[in-house]
Amino acid sequence: MATLPHDDICQLVREPIDMAALVRHVRAPEDGATVTFDGFVRNQSHNRPTLYLDYEAYESMALAKMREIGAQLHEKYRIHRLAMVHRLGRLEIGETSVFIAVSAPHRAAAFDACRFAIDTLKRTVPIWKKEYFEDGAVWADGELPPAPAATPRANPAS
Amino acid sequence: MPLAPSRSAGYNSPVPPVSQTIRVTVLFFGRLKELTGHAEDSVEFADAVTIEQLFALYAARHPELTKYRSSVVASRNQEFAPWDTPLRSGDEVAFLPPVSGG
Repeated sequence: MATLPHDDICQLVREPIDMAALVRHVRAPEDGATVTFDGFVRNQSHNRPTLYLDYEAYESMALAKMREIGAQLHEKYRIHRLAMVHRLGRLEIGETSVFIAVSAPHRAAAFDACRFAIDTLKRTVPIWKKEYFEDGAVWADGELPPAPAATPRANPAS
Repeated sequence: MPLAPSRSAGYNSPVPPVSQTIRVTVLFFGRLKELTGHAEDSVEFADAVTIEQLFALYAARHPELTKYRSSVVASRNQEFAPWDTPLRSGDEVAFLPPVSGG
């Protein structure tokens, strides 16, 4: 895999996420804080007991969008390193679907960047989950990514 | 589609520009994949075509697609793209339902 700037990690995986290894990867002696986000499978959805989830992605675009988020983080916040991994395929209750770790010299930047990363991932990265219940399955309600509405026309010179 | 024998255009002969076939790869995800019955398709157009027209082609085959039109975004070559984007041969277009990662 190509090395990302800042030694960041952005990955899609089909096996359990090794959270401890990702935390070790982002931590460095010049840092003072690591903030992590562990998103995992809830046992119910709208009060219906969930059996399991199945995640799929437009993988090439999802990776590109995750790397864009990484680039934005380094522009917006004084952070050191990012690890952002999303798991695909069938996940059982309690299993981690997404894990984000951000290290920084100071905690405020790490908190803010981690929050921005998960919020932006949920809004812009093409990944979908299907929720399986006793009596059927549904695609989870999602967010419509902000896409350009129309091709900008060249403005006449004023 | 059999190709018409190409007319050899003589030097400076006033042959109208021949429209080039546009071949596009189309990807469907989530409920759109289930609805159309395929994850990936390939289509050819004899003339200029936009993402909107490409969607309309599939909506004609699968009328249920129409009701999802307002909750779908499109991408061209892995970038979100407006519906009026003209397509070029070799483009990869994807129709994306609301995303629900995390």
